[in-house]
Amino acid sequence: MTILRFYQRPSSLSIAFSSRHERSFSGSSELVTLTTRRNQCWRFSPLKSSNGSPLAGASWKDDGKEMPVPKVPDIGSQLAENTVSITVVGASGDLAKKKIFPALFALYYEGYLPQHFTVFGYARSKLTDEELRHTISTTLTCRVDKRENCSDKMEQFLQRCFYHSGQYGSEVDFCELDNKLKEKEDGKLANRLFYLSIPPNIFVDVVRGASRSASSPNGWTRFIVEKPFGRDSESSSELTRCLKMYLIEEQIFRIDHYLGKELVENLSVLRFANLVFEPLWSRNYIRNVQLIFSEDFGTEGRGGYFDHYGIIRDIMQNHLLQILALFAMETPVSLDGEDIRNEKVKVLRSMRVLKLDDVVVGQYKGHTKGGKSFPAYTDDPTVPKGSLTPTFAAASLFIDNARWDGVPFLMKAGKALHRRGAEIRVQFRHVPGNLYKRKFGTDLDKATNELVIRVQPNEAIYLKINNKVPGLSMRLDSSNLNLLYSERYPREIPDAYERLLLDAIEGERRLFIRSDELDAAWAIFSPLLRELEEKKVVPELYPYGSRGPVGAHYLAAKYNVRWGDLSDSS
Amino acid sequence: MAVSFPKCPSSSLPPLQTRNRAWSSPLSAPHQVGDSSKWALLEATKRCHLSVSSATNGGSAVAPVEPSKKVQDSGTKTTPTDHSTKVENGIRPTVFSSNEFQDLKTGPDNSGRESTVSITVVGASGDLAKKKIFPALFALYYEGFLPKHFTIFGYARSKMTDAELREMVSRTLNCRIDQRENCDAKMEEFLKRCFYHSGQYDSEAHFVELDKKLKQHEGSRISNRLYYLSIPPNIFLDVVKCTSLAASSENGWTRVIVEKPFGRDAESSAALTRGLKQYLHEDQIFRIDHYLGKELVENLSVLRFSNLVFEPLWSRQYIRNVQIIFSEDFGTEGRGGYFDSYGIIRDIMQNHLLQIVALFAMETPTSLEAEDIRNEKVKVLRSMKTLEIDDVVIGQYKSHTRGGVVYPGYTDDKTVPNDSLTPTFAAAALFINNARWDGVPFLMKAGKALHTKRAEIRVQFRHVPGNLYKKCFGTDLDRATNELVIRVQPDEAIYLKINNKIPGLGMRLDRSNLNLHYAARYSKEIPCAYERLLLDAIEGERRLFIRSDELDAAWALFTPLLKELEEKHIAPELYPYGSRGPVGAHYLAAKYNVRWGDLGAEH
Repeated sequence: MTILRFYQRPSSLSIAFSSRHERSFSGSSELVTLTTRRNQCWRFSPLKSSNGSPLAGASWKDDGKEMPVPKVPDIGSQLAENTVSITVVGASGDLAKKKIFPALFALYYEGYLPQHFTVFGYARSKLTDEELRHTISTTLTCRVDKRENCSDKMEQFLQRCFYHSGQYGSEVDFCELDNKLKEKEDGKLANRLFYLSIPPNIFVDVVRGASRSASSPNGWTRFIVEKPFGRDSESSSELTRCLKMYLIEEQIFRIDHYLGKELVENLSVLRFANLVFEPLWSRNYIRNVQLIFSEDFGTEGRGGYFDHYGIIRDIMQNHLLQILALFAMETPVSLDGEDIRNEKVKVLRSMRVLKLDDVVVGQYKGHTKGGKSFPAYTDDPTVPKGSLTPTFAAASLFIDNARWDGVPFLMKAGKALHRRGAEIRVQFRHVPGNLYKRKFGTDLDKATNELVIRVQPNEAIYLKINNKVPGLSMRLDSSNLNLLYSERYPREIPDAYERLLLDAIEGERRLFIRSDELDAAWAIFSPLLRELEEKKVVPELYPYGSRGPVGAHYLAAKYNVRWGDLSDSS
Repeated sequence: MAVSFPKCPSSSLPPLQTRNRAWSSPLSAPHQVGDSSKWALLEATKRCHLSVSSATNGGSAVAPVEPSKKVQDSGTKTTPTDHSTKVENGIRPTVFSSNEFQDLKTGPDNSGRESTVSITVVGASGDLAKKKIFPALFALYYEGFLPKHFTIFGYARSKMTDAELREMVSRTLNCRIDQRENCDAKMEEFLKRCFYHSGQYDSEAHFVELDKKLKQHEGSRISNRLYYLSIPPNIFLDVVKCTSLAASSENGWTRVIVEKPFGRDAESSAALTRGLKQYLHEDQIFRIDHYLGKELVENLSVLRFSNLVFEPLWSRQYIRNVQIIFSEDFGTEGRGGYFDSYGIIRDIMQNHLLQIVALFAMETPTSLEAEDIRNEKVKVLRSMKTLEIDDVVIGQYKSHTRGGVVYPGYTDDKTVPNDSLTPTFAAAALFINNARWDGVPFLMKAGKALHTKRAEIRVQFRHVPGNLYKKCFGTDLDRATNELVIRVQPDEAIYLKINNKIPGLGMRLDRSNLNLHYAARYSKEIPCAYERLLLDAIEGERRLFIRSDELDAAWALFTPLLKELEEKHIAPELYPYGSRGPVGAHYLAAKYNVRWGDLGAEH
């Protein structure tokens, strides 16, 4: 693993800079040879820097199987080394324990973290470093495919984890954190990343405290913020306004972990690195697009947060809409984060504001199956008895631009459904003047080509085609041209959080949501959300574990669409 | 449409039912009898078949107006009731054994007389007949595709009894792997319908005798006769003359299946056609190209015309080149006599590969009807640039020793002259000068004694214009383009090579296949090409047979080249037995900026 060795050498982070920035002084000739090598693909980060500090640009990440082993020159003794300090604010929370620390460890294990780094947990509870390490260690795992040295690595990683207890609203406490960070940074060029794994009502307090008292004096300071980003246009822009009192846009990394999923990343590659898809990518050939998300469990006693937001805010307005924007955007000028986000904003701004008629909401009710009874949403003790919060929603959206005019983009998201999955389905039009018409029965649209990108579980891409059933008769059949990831790539696919944390460290903004994107996304959904609440629209009930309310079918039918996931041959 | 294309009888039927083209045979009877919900299916099945057989009711041996007759007939077919009677009769075991002739009158008769098919394999003692034709006929019978009454005759010079023929045939018959039940019984029944007649190929008197025997078996049914000429080309005309003069059907159709070679060049082919046409009408001649009967070649049209996603890409705008590759991993192995006077270009390219090009490149036909498809194929062939010697590389295999085993050179074959210049390998670049394909090289490659056995079509697409991921591909963008591969044999498969991201934190791209592997999806054995073609000939479906004008156009492309090769005594590039063929093929490809897709590091 080249990278590993690479980063284990002194000043490795500055080497990473060297490929892009003149301020690197060393190893650049080595790197030039590397960059020009074939088959190595480099990620590019924007040239802009967040706050005047150098960016960790173009660091290279690769699974490195056949990568050349660079001779790392002996450098750096005469310069300031770089370090990254990652502070997880809300370290005792669930997300931190289950996702953030494990992702950081995975990055460390795979050699993606710079040679010198520090991980801090920050929360109100009193904990010692040891206690934090113990909590973390229970959730760390090594990649299935790379078990060697795992416990050594884990030990080394934990040695770099520390804890600081403090109030979220206290600048003094952040000053103390700053002192501790400085101590660890030890005169190196300090880059600081704050991961806000806390409830939204204290976002601004923490940002204020951290930015005023614990910003890096000489490197960059970045903040990763998790959803929810407000409840509607107003609260979202209020949040953005407050964040911007202390931070500039480039410092804010709004995370949407769906964008870190492997197949969502692959979506752009599919579109833009293959000749065969782009010519089809328009209203001329695509009949409709379906974005489907389903969970096979309910809120399970943790509905407090959810009840306040509902499925539309929780899944649709962010995850599904982001995927839609990536799917439908025009070709960007480059793969640079700003270029891609520019195109995404354009799509979002071309979208029709969602109307109540184009939405179906549902809520799951109790259901007994095989002697086992599954609770209704309102049976959840953390949910008000009379709650009208949707746990299911289907919506049809339209992009009023030249490419997509009239093509329905159907979204569907729900909890407590019959299965768990996330997929994108692209249904193509039927063949005009089909010579084989008679083989298809009366509805030509039932045998059209379909491209399915299954984001989870069992990542796969397949294209449904019509072919002849082997044999003497002329029977047609729909088969799949298939790419099942687990077969072709037996390695474990990295968790979305790993990618996103790494991108934030590297300043790669492609997968984070810019303020104007967020505004545009809320603008599409806010009027609907308000109307649902004002009119107290009652959700259609559906049994726990079912396929969701039938209303979704009627909504699809209105636009002459059939849900691809609920047909027999899906 | 329903009428002229017997495989899909009625547009009003749901797909399941339109698929069925099986004759109402004993095999399918158990599902059908007595189940009223199956009436639609029965009706469909019957209409399909009757429309074929009844097309011959007109009485003439020639059937130029068959399609229109089918139109008239199909509407007036019999009712479900009498059909079921027929089915029930069909399952009586006695029907097929001792009482064959009595069976004749037990069937329903309200739409005229029953019809029968007599298939005469001329050259019955030959290799092709034994290995392919009789087994294919049996497979058709076994699967219920033959009409209820049929007779098979072997005709050849050697003296043989019926029993001897049966004995010979029975050795090569086998049952489908997936339907082993009753196999022996079925085989027995089939063999009972096989007969032999010994005679000279040019003796009308002998064919008159055959005619008598045929009549005896046909009884008073409407007789349809199919002659399969499995004989050397020099006696084609003799046999055709005798059959048409002395053994044509008097009240049904008479069709003649002819195997390649259809001449050696434009002139001899035209002479052969002229000769055939003295005795036969165009629609009596079924020129077989067994490659067109292969499953995936059949599927080519389905892929193109029943999927939206391919047709928009099917032009010079998106396709960089097309490669049609055929290779065998063995040489002539002591049987080079015939081959040596033809060579690989005539043996494989001018017919099999060119036919595939024509199907691949043709415009959308008006319908799936044979004449419409063949019209489009002729158009493609006529738009093609005549092949020039600069665009061809020829090779011949030489002996090679590997792992202690010595593989012989082509000229080591005792049946081949020692100084033979006959190519056993050829690569050629062809061009179609029409609006769709202008400038797109169609590369063909065919060879014997190569390292693999395979036949495939490779479609290489252009590179993505202004590719955002350019930097991930190295300097040659054309090495990471999409590619559609249709593997005709072995292991039938279709796959589309796409670029995708390698899962992981980097941004490394990889080429993966979107895959459809036939064996994995369709466990059923894929029928042999001969089965399909024989069945089509019986049904009068001409889609997969080569029309005279097609043949002329095909020869016109290759004849000047073939003449030049022979006149100039061009020496083939030698390549070792079992190798990847002469390197000259790479240079030919390079000339048109193409890389052979089958010889890359990854296929």
